[in-house]
Amino acid sequence: MKKLYQAVLFVLLCCLTPLVASAQSFRVQCPTSTVTHPSSLHDNNSEPAYNGPTNLAVPTIPPAGTNGGFLMPTGNVNGAIKCQQIGGGDGLSTMGDGTQIYMFSFGPLSGLADIANGQPGTEFPSVFNTVYPGTFLPGDPATTVGGSSGGNAVPIGFTYNGAVGLVPDADCMAGNAAAAASGGTPPCPNLPADGLDGHVDPRAIIDVGVMNGNIPAPLFAIDEDDEFFLALSNVGMIMRPDLFEQHTVHFHGYPNASTFYDGVPDASVAINIGGSFTYYYLAPDAGTYFWHCHITPPEHLQMGMVGQLYVRPRQNRVPVGQSLYTYLGYQQNDNRTKCDSTQDILCSNPLPAGGAAANTAARAATGNYAYNDGDGSTYYDVEYPIQIHGFDPNFHFVGMTFNPEEFNDMKDKYFLLNGRSYPDTVTPGPLATQATDGKMHFSQPLPSIINIPAGGKALLRISDLDVTEYQTLASLGIPMTVIGFNAKLLRDQAGNNLYYTTNSITLAGGESLDVILDATDKTKYPSGSIFYLYTPNLDHLSNDAENFGGLMTEVHIN
Amino acid sequence: MNATNTKMMISKTRLLVLLALALLLTASAQAAAPGVTGPVFNLTAQAGSLSQPDGAAVYSWGYGCNGAPAGYAPAAITNAFCNTMQVPGPTLIVTEGQTVTVNLTNNLPTAAGNTSILFPGFNVTASGGVAGLLTQEAVPGGTVTYTFTPSSPGTRAYYSGTQGDLQVEMGLYGAIIVLPTNTTVLSGCTAAQANNLAAQAHWGESNFRLAVAAYDHASTCYDREYLFQFSEMDPNIHNKALAQVTAAGNCAAGAPGCSLNVPTEPYSPAYFMINGRSMPDDMDTNYASQYPHQPYNGNPHMHPGELTLIRVIGQGRWQHPFHEHGNHVRILARDGNLILSQNDSTKLGGRLEFTTDTTPGQAFDGIFYWTGKGLNWDPYGHNPASSDLAAKLPCTPDGNGYNTSAPTAINYYEWCQDHNKPLQVAPFGDVAGGGPATLPDPNILTNGAWFGGSPYLGPNATVRAVGPTGTTPPSGTIANPPTSEAGFAFMWHSHNEREITTNNIFPGGMLMMMLVDSREFVIDESN
Repeated sequence: MKKLYQAVLFVLLCCLTPLVASAQSFRVQCPTSTVTHPSSLHDNNSEPAYNGPTNLAVPTIPPAGTNGGFLMPTGNVNGAIKCQQIGGGDGLSTMGDGTQIYMFSFGPLSGLADIANGQPGTEFPSVFNTVYPGTFLPGDPATTVGGSSGGNAVPIGFTYNGAVGLVPDADCMAGNAAAAASGGTPPCPNLPADGLDGHVDPRAIIDVGVMNGNIPAPLFAIDEDDEFFLALSNVGMIMRPDLFEQHTVHFHGYPNASTFYDGVPDASVAINIGGSFTYYYLAPDAGTYFWHCHITPPEHLQMGMVGQLYVRPRQNRVPVGQSLYTYLGYQQNDNRTKCDSTQDILCSNPLPAGGAAANTAARAATGNYAYNDGDGSTYYDVEYPIQIHGFDPNFHFVGMTFNPEEFNDMKDKYFLLNGRSYPDTVTPGPLATQATDGKMHFSQPLPSIINIPAGGKALLRISDLDVTEYQTLASLGIPMTVIGFNAKLLRDQAGNNLYYTTNSITLAGGESLDVILDATDKTKYPSGSIFYLYTPNLDHLSNDAENFGGLMTEVHIN
Repeated sequence: MNATNTKMMISKTRLLVLLALALLLTASAQAAAPGVTGPVFNLTAQAGSLSQPDGAAVYSWGYGCNGAPAGYAPAAITNAFCNTMQVPGPTLIVTEGQTVTVNLTNNLPTAAGNTSILFPGFNVTASGGVAGLLTQEAVPGGTVTYTFTPSSPGTRAYYSGTQGDLQVEMGLYGAIIVLPTNTTVLSGCTAAQANNLAAQAHWGESNFRLAVAAYDHASTCYDREYLFQFSEMDPNIHNKALAQVTAAGNCAAGAPGCSLNVPTEPYSPAYFMINGRSMPDDMDTNYASQYPHQPYNGNPHMHPGELTLIRVIGQGRWQHPFHEHGNHVRILARDGNLILSQNDSTKLGGRLEFTTDTTPGQAFDGIFYWTGKGLNWDPYGHNPASSDLAAKLPCTPDGNGYNTSAPTAINYYEWCQDHNKPLQVAPFGDVAGGGPATLPDPNILTNGAWFGGSPYLGPNATVRAVGPTGTTPPSGTIANPPTSEAGFAFMWHSHNEREITTNNIFPGGMLMMMLVDSREFVIDESN
């Protein structure tokens, strides 16, 4: 066996050698202008209002560097550019009974401040492409701000959200300067004036990325029409040096996905330790998706490589006061954004039934929408991503040691909402765990406490990546209105909303749905009241041996 | 590597071995929804062994054909057989309104006692045999007859109605497919599919469908179809059944001790199967000779834009979240009941799901397709400056934005808004540059066995981008070669991820690859 493996590896390496291209192993990508979002037409550092489809035409003269022949925007550009960097490696987290548990995991390598404050780490180029003014310390940002085990203050007192490791490309700058002085050809003709072309200092990536695992993995949030550049830097699993594991990102549920960026190692490529791979997608239709590593899924998902991802609808960008129905009508003018149920069996948001006369909702001055509904029915004041997961401590222990793992007897003993069990779910701020490097790391940045303004509505974006069993989450108090399922609006082809009200939802791993908690009745749900979300799988209301805790959190009316 | 440093070695070497097996057997296996036709079906229930990829032969019971069936479908699959025992049982293909007769003979070991079949969703008349709890049962050596007339189309399960906790676990289940008859719907579908049929004819593809529509409804037309039955096995139960059957020997029915007492709890399944096979066996061909008792596979292929009907049944005792990579599935119906809008029966009302739960005893039908719409780059890697004519094909958008007016072109059904649009910053072989993304050095990437060799779809684009060997190991060792297929491979699997293992070995279990192939690749479901 061993000989066969080595022989195959040898053949593999030999065949790859002729294809060597010049490239740095760790690097990030966040262009400020693309053929889809030309900076000449549009500021890519903000979301423009939606006033109808992007105007497209094939330029008569091919843009520089291309062979032309494709559609480019000529005006009314929608969406922007968003970038994020994550590290794939390992780490430790703290369970509700105080046990520290070993994980294979992703950690943030951009948007550090946002992630630690419970926000998405997805940034515009103007934020992503900034150089850290100091020197990163192992464990940052927790080390720099003095994070302590248990809860930490919010905001955390750390503001940097750029790409960890990003530095000017000194070699390119010097080469270009020398070429300019001698009149020669510059080696890096496209280098920006600030020298930031995605070149990174690997020391910073290793210092921050090693043992930096988060559960759940860093949150991604993008808007429809955005281009999203996600750099995955594989920093290695320092406690399992015997494992030369690759990691990938599977964008779970993306419609019309490409194989290449689907993250399945069997069907594509996977990044080795010491390298970065940038995933590229145009944002798909709005909805609650999620993501995870797809290497040996029963192992890497159980071990913690699971995260959340949602796409916000165009409808949020409709100018305040304008008719949502009219603007959903504008989306029918672009084949990419339309939903004609008579032509496409896989679209879920046709114009709502009843026409303009029955659908008079206008874009609200505050709040947002979960989907392009055209009738305002998915409105919410506040949104919370909630990810259901489970950890089997025996499997994690074996995963920390050097023994082969057994899959059949996998049995979760910790039941997690956003990587925490009750009562940690209601602890504000990031939870920190001291890892084996002796440093504190923000291991679990996301509380699950649902704060609803009195008289308001909360959108819960619930996903489940448990790898062993179905789990149920019930609401004691405010009924759950299910408006979306698997990142699709619940609407039939005739335009009738198929929302339903329930007090519990059940999901398997690999599923998501959207729930609105409607607290507009201040008599029933007065300010100061507290309600609970908990699992009626009563054996899941435990933290391993503790008969208390588990899959439960609180809803506060403020 | 030292002796304790084994985890990765185990998984990698197992993977390589499995892969080597898979590659020997699967390179061009496809699937369809094959079965036997009636309307009279003479079935038997018998014992046999199921082959598993860890080398196990698991003692099981299954339904099979008692003599040659009336016929096989689809006709384009010519090597069909129906053994006397198979798991799942023979897929019974019938037509709406036609009276179906099933004669079941009980050839199980005498100690197993009576057996029967339930056909949930049909109004069944049972005759012969003896009265059982749920239906008439066949005694050992005896026969029972079930007749019914399906009044609506669709996919449904059938399974044992006798001591189901043991008999269904042992393998006594199967599928029945009822084909629609509404001539207006069928002719409408045929007209709507004219271009795709022309494309298939141009590339020499046969028609492997059982029908052109799943239901008597114009929104259920389809171009291709697959049937997946999910089940799991606890080998302890099977081993105990075998031991007790062996101990009972040729006992006389009803004699003391001539019965089984096999505990079916606690339940700890180790095999997680699609159509009775675990990955990678499920990707071998239908009717592969090495699986005499597991004739049906799971290895779907489709071209961009083809409406693909998936018929899925939960046959075990657990639910399984079946995740279809690549796109959503529109649920058409459950247990043969079409789900329509409550106030407009011309419109569908079923949900769109990217993870479709399989539920014990329940069937659903759904429609899936893949087009690449909205990728924002041209998956065909078209290049207007190429010297290759195939790289310069036009894309003429129809009213929905697809290139459907040229059914004989490689890029039939291309999404035109991204036509010629580059992905890579730098030119990639004969694929244009100027796009948004930069790939890392290929030396720091590990390639998968189903990686087509480049980001692009189909042999023309792939070879132009990276040459005939791709960026993968030599083409002889990959399952999706750059020069012949280079499809987009998507994993379809249970998302209770521990179920994509075979008796604790990863990969295995409820897992298969679905391939979207460019039109250059001829999809042949018969091999």
